[in-house]
Amino acid sequence: MLDYKKLGFMCGLEVHYQLSTRKLFCHCPNLVHDSNSISYKIQRNLMAFEGESGKKDIAAEYEESKNKTFIYEGSNSSSCLVELDESPPFPIDQGALKTSIQVAMLLNMKIVNEVIVMRKIVIDGSNVSGYQRTTLIGRDGFLETSKGKVKIPTLYLEEDAAQKTSKTKDTVTYNLSRLGIPLLEIATSPDLQDPEHAKETAYLIGMVVKSTGKAHRGIGSIRQDVNISIKNHSRIELKGFQDLRSIPKVIDYEILRQLKEKNESSHVRKVEPNLTTSYLRPMPGSSRLYPETDLKTIQISKEFLKTIEIPELLTERALNFEKKYNLPSDHAREIVSENIPFDYYAEKYKIEPKIIANLLIEAPKEISSRFIIKKQLKQKDFEFVFDNLENKKISREAAFEVLKDISLDIKPNLLKYQTISLGELEAFIKDLVEKNKGVSISGLMGDVMKRYRGSVDGKSAMELLKKYVR
Amino acid sequence: MLQVIFKHYPIIKYIFKNTNTYLFWCQSLITMKKDSFEPGDLIQVTTLSEEIKGTFLPSNNKEMLSLKLPSGYNLSIKKSEIKAIKILEKHIPKIEKTTETKIRKELPTIIILHTGGTISSKVSYKTGAVSAQFLPQDIINKFPKLKEIANIESRLISNMFSENIRFHHYNLMAKEIEKEINSKVDGIILTHGTDTLHYTAAALSFILEDLPIPVILVGSQRSSDRPSSDASLNLISSARFIKETDFAGVAICMHQSIEDKNAVILPACKTRKVHTSRRDAFKPINSSPIAIISEKIEFLTKDYSKKENKKLKLKTIKEKLKIGILKAHPNMLSREIENYNSFDALIIEGTGLGHIAVEKIDSESSENEKILNSIKKLSKKMPIIMTSQCIFGRINMDVYSPGRKLQEAGVINNNSDITTETAFIKAAWLLSNHKKEFYELWNKDLRGEINNRLLPEHYLDDTN
Repeated sequence: MLDYKKLGFMCGLEVHYQLSTRKLFCHCPNLVHDSNSISYKIQRNLMAFEGESGKKDIAAEYEESKNKTFIYEGSNSSSCLVELDESPPFPIDQGALKTSIQVAMLLNMKIVNEVIVMRKIVIDGSNVSGYQRTTLIGRDGFLETSKGKVKIPTLYLEEDAAQKTSKTKDTVTYNLSRLGIPLLEIATSPDLQDPEHAKETAYLIGMVVKSTGKAHRGIGSIRQDVNISIKNHSRIELKGFQDLRSIPKVIDYEILRQLKEKNESSHVRKVEPNLTTSYLRPMPGSSRLYPETDLKTIQISKEFLKTIEIPELLTERALNFEKKYNLPSDHAREIVSENIPFDYYAEKYKIEPKIIANLLIEAPKEISSRFIIKKQLKQKDFEFVFDNLENKKISREAAFEVLKDISLDIKPNLLKYQTISLGELEAFIKDLVEKNKGVSISGLMGDVMKRYRGSVDGKSAMELLKKYVR
Repeated sequence: MLQVIFKHYPIIKYIFKNTNTYLFWCQSLITMKKDSFEPGDLIQVTTLSEEIKGTFLPSNNKEMLSLKLPSGYNLSIKKSEIKAIKILEKHIPKIEKTTETKIRKELPTIIILHTGGTISSKVSYKTGAVSAQFLPQDIINKFPKLKEIANIESRLISNMFSENIRFHHYNLMAKEIEKEINSKVDGIILTHGTDTLHYTAAALSFILEDLPIPVILVGSQRSSDRPSSDASLNLISSARFIKETDFAGVAICMHQSIEDKNAVILPACKTRKVHTSRRDAFKPINSSPIAIISEKIEFLTKDYSKKENKKLKLKTIKEKLKIGILKAHPNMLSREIENYNSFDALIIEGTGLGHIAVEKIDSESSENEKILNSIKKLSKKMPIIMTSQCIFGRINMDVYSPGRKLQEAGVINNNSDITTETAFIKAAWLLSNHKKEFYELWNKDLRGEINNRLLPEHYLDDTN
């Protein structure tokens, strides 16, 4: 266990959330991974010009030195002339703007008086124009965590970049479908006390964004960057976390790596699938923004702010579920963050809510971790199972087995799972124990489950076994 | 001053709503004179709730003070919430270093004359203001490949959006070009806003008779402060075209497609902007490009004027001429024609083969007859020239009866494929220089403005 205090551990987060509205500056839909065929390929070059400081930006220069040709692949279904930098932007999407203000409010931030869209120079090709459009929405907020307040200095609303699909020595190819999707960038101060605190904070920020109902779902819709430094070492930015559960491990590995390195300069590292990190690029310079001259400034009046409702926080909703249905807190949180229609079933069926929650949340996870799924479970499948469970036609264990069968596209045979009487079970177990003297209880339990899986309740079987095995 | 303020304190207090802002403005009134802050200064702003540091920027909104935060983002602060402002660091403008570039004798000399527009704009990252840049060093710093092609000189002759151009500016540009030709440059690149670039190309073609060197008009559709600007390819391609070919005369150099691959040299009098924003917005009309510039330069025609020992004749346009362009449309009124009574020439951009409503077809369309009468009257005073709003193709006022009536009424330009824009320029130029032979010279191809053989390829490329 590392002693973070002694190490002089400093850590801040930068979390990116895609929103599910249309693209930020054009009317293209938000398809992210557009599976439609590529309609065109075009070739472009980018140049770095003088930055604000009068010097070409370091990171920008680094990219230019690679002297690449960029190839952009686009589908007519998900990108237009705006993504191609062939038509000026439309005014900022009002839905995305509203959502970003809601999040800023939930994070106790000061909302800007004017929305001023800036161009942030990015010349690795991931933005066709050579800059990312980004705008400051909120400042100076905070978030309550189990280890105290975490400051949230900034919330930006920006456009997502194109996705790299391949590269050669002289070219880099990007797909345009992701370019322009609205992205919230939320940064914390370097107040995070340890890796678990970083994970908790990332989780809580996610809950805030999801509370708006406009968070995009799916792979790549959330990206976390972690800035860390320890005493006598330069600040390192870690990019490309997909899963927030991996945050503590990655930070620990990174600290161990840094402890071995001396005289390393500040840079950006990429998180690899095995949770180690590799060099990505130098740290971007600070002077790389100027106003987007193609767009007008938008006034944010008090009257406008009054029209924006503050959504109920998912953490609060989760707490309400927890209390009302007597659920474990992790299940309550998962129900709200994954938008699972738990309350619909809980109100409809006379089944213990805990059992409903367990089947809705854990069953699909367990099935997919153990089997190759052929069918996604739908509302009617759950209703089928809950109907039978409510009428005591199947046991709790059988409910899982039925869901598994449906997922594997097997027609469930309910007769197989019909509950048997305790007497029948007792007779079977008595016989079993006599025939297998000296076999352990767990061994015998296996035989019982093999014969009656789904039809008996494991707890009663165990009690009976204990009774006869002496 | 202070006395006055204190005397009216209650009223002023009411106006300013709270004491703090009132005191701030009092302070400002006193301090601003000797110690005012200017754009670029690092300041600290104290508001009712916080202190904010940043670079002061000019703002269009009178109620806001604009700051550039250390993060690079701009922030607007309500002036009414400001309690105090402190200057932390005065902005010291950088003195631009002018380094002498060495002249390489083996290279030709090209001068870049700037007239403003997107291509020569430069953003001040400090203040966000857009300004024109024209120092040779600026251009070379920005497009370093240029100095491998030629000795580059550069100068600003006027700075404007091209939609603001008047006849005066054509003459100004032509005179500046003449000066440069006299000082023996090998070629001229004229940077120009794209909106009316094709008008200027036509105007210079007519004004600069017997032009002995290449004058290439270059624009850009993405301003050159953007990393993705099309300016680089357009400028470098035009410099290469000047250096590597025997072309003389006026032409346009822009992107061939939306890719940063090839540039295209377009005929000055037969080109038009046909897209509001694409980088390949300029297309030849009823014609082919002169050349395609890729790794190599490929001419698509042999019929172009060449560098010879010609003596330039400057034939400027009379700046007081009034030439109108009227677009025909349904439900026209004769008054629209009559508006041009005091003009010197009128171009009617007709429908189809060259039509405008001139026939009464029922009791509801007698206005059309009035239009014909108005045209008849007007054509006695000035040339009335028919072009087509179809953009592509040729005028033919023999096919349908309205066309024949228009010819009888005195409308000219039958069987011509001249563009509306070039017709406008040609009319002004002929009235300025050859008024007596106007009707005779109108139908003669003087600068490649008329093509009597339209080929299938002289139309939009159907692959785009």
